[in-house]
Amino acid sequence: MDDDTRQFKESNSQEFSDDAIRRFLFGRLSAAEQATFEEYLFTGESLEARVRLAEFDLADDYALERLSAADRKAFEKKFLLSAERTRQLKVSTALRDRFASTTTVAAPAPKGATASISERLRFLFGLNQRAWRLAFGVAILVVLVGMVWLWVKEPRIKEGIKAGIFNRRAPVPAPSAPRMAEHSNNASSIPEHRITPLAMPPHEPTASPVILSVDLMPDAPRDHAQIPLIDLPKGEHDIVRLQLALKPNQTGTFRAELLTINDQSVFIAQSLLSAGRDSGKIAFNVPAALLKTGDYRVSLSRADDGSKRSVASYYFRVR
Amino acid sequence: MSPAKKLQTLKQEDFDRLLAWLDPDPGRAGILYERIRWRLIAILASRGCAIAEELADEIIDRVARRVVDIQPTYVGDKAIYFLGVMNNVHHEYLKRPIMPRLVEIVDDGNEKETTHLCLDKCLDQLSPHARQMIEQYYAENKRAKIDLRKRIAAEFGISLNTLRLRALRIREKLQTCIEQCLEA
Repeated sequence: MDDDTRQFKESNSQEFSDDAIRRFLFGRLSAAEQATFEEYLFTGESLEARVRLAEFDLADDYALERLSAADRKAFEKKFLLSAERTRQLKVSTALRDRFASTTTVAAPAPKGATASISERLRFLFGLNQRAWRLAFGVAILVVLVGMVWLWVKEPRIKEGIKAGIFNRRAPVPAPSAPRMAEHSNNASSIPEHRITPLAMPPHEPTASPVILSVDLMPDAPRDHAQIPLIDLPKGEHDIVRLQLALKPNQTGTFRAELLTINDQSVFIAQSLLSAGRDSGKIAFNVPAALLKTGDYRVSLSRADDGSKRSVASYYFRVR
Repeated sequence: MSPAKKLQTLKQEDFDRLLAWLDPDPGRAGILYERIRWRLIAILASRGCAIAEELADEIIDRVARRVVDIQPTYVGDKAIYFLGVMNNVHHEYLKRPIMPRLVEIVDDGNEKETTHLCLDKCLDQLSPHARQMIEQYYAENKRAKIDLRKRIAAEFGISLNTLRLRALRIREKLQTCIEQCLEA
């Protein structure tokens, strides 16, 4: 027994080389090696699994013409001896037909050869790996969730997008019927391109109509006979417009505070501008719902010179 | 009596007894039976037997008929018993004046087309990862097998040997799937 055979006999199933398995399949083991191999094959499971895979490998090598001439002959005479192996070869051939034609496209280029940019990027960033794909998926999800959150939480964005959409969707006015008729009558002349917008529907007012307008004089007497009277409107959204007469040459920005006669603040109007030197009035609207029956005072003060000093008081009564 | 005649006369009860002897669980017994048959064929083919499958069936038949006698006293790995019977049957085979027969590869266009259809169907059943691996593994150029396999293994982040094992296991699954498809 030579050293190789002794070593072969002492080996266990894990240590049989791929070469030894292939020699078994080709029937090229010596008698002693063959006996040892057969014994292990019959009693061990791992060697059986390896031999099964080696059969597929060999069938693939034959189909893909990777075997030498001698091995091809041995394959046909010593290996292809069962129907199962013949079926293996058919599948190997089908795989070759299916994929081998794409060799230059699908297989990575050998060392030194040029690869496509996308292929290089895939290798560079490892995009083919599952972890990377998962990470990119999560990143995209986070971005989407962030966008939705912004949409919900930031009304300015929402309004901006809405405004953009409405601007884009603004209808293009169609030529009016008379213009079309004019075109047909003057076919030879180049018509002037004039667009007459269609009549827009009447704009519904967003504020309630002013129900009552009252002129108040500064520092007028509060006695029962001369105090201005207001009959309180009953509508929930009605407005009382108070017009305060200014003293001569009073201009600038004012602040008006409406108070009950007990000096309880009811309403404040800021940044009121006098209408001009000639008009001498300041006006502001008070929701009628804030007013109840009783006497009221309007305190007018400067808002533009930092003094906030009171310039006049106005009285009226609600009944 | 010729092996063929003996095969025909194998009684169902002998076969059932054989399976029960191999393992009391019918499912496990069936798997063990198939594995023993595969090993017999592999060894007989390696010995250059041109009728490996036929001889393997003959060995199994002989063991099946003897189970009734050996069952009460037999101790040890039952698969080893097949190995002993195989040696006897193979000796007898070598004495027979049988001309070597090769399994013919018939290039049947229809069968080839059907195999390709089944291959596509079975490839569709693979996971995207397995599909990608098998495509690259079989797309390799025959002249650059080692280099390309190294590149593929690096791409998948595995060793060359792991790549080979994984690809061949996928290949094994494909084989089973295609055979089932062809039988359907």
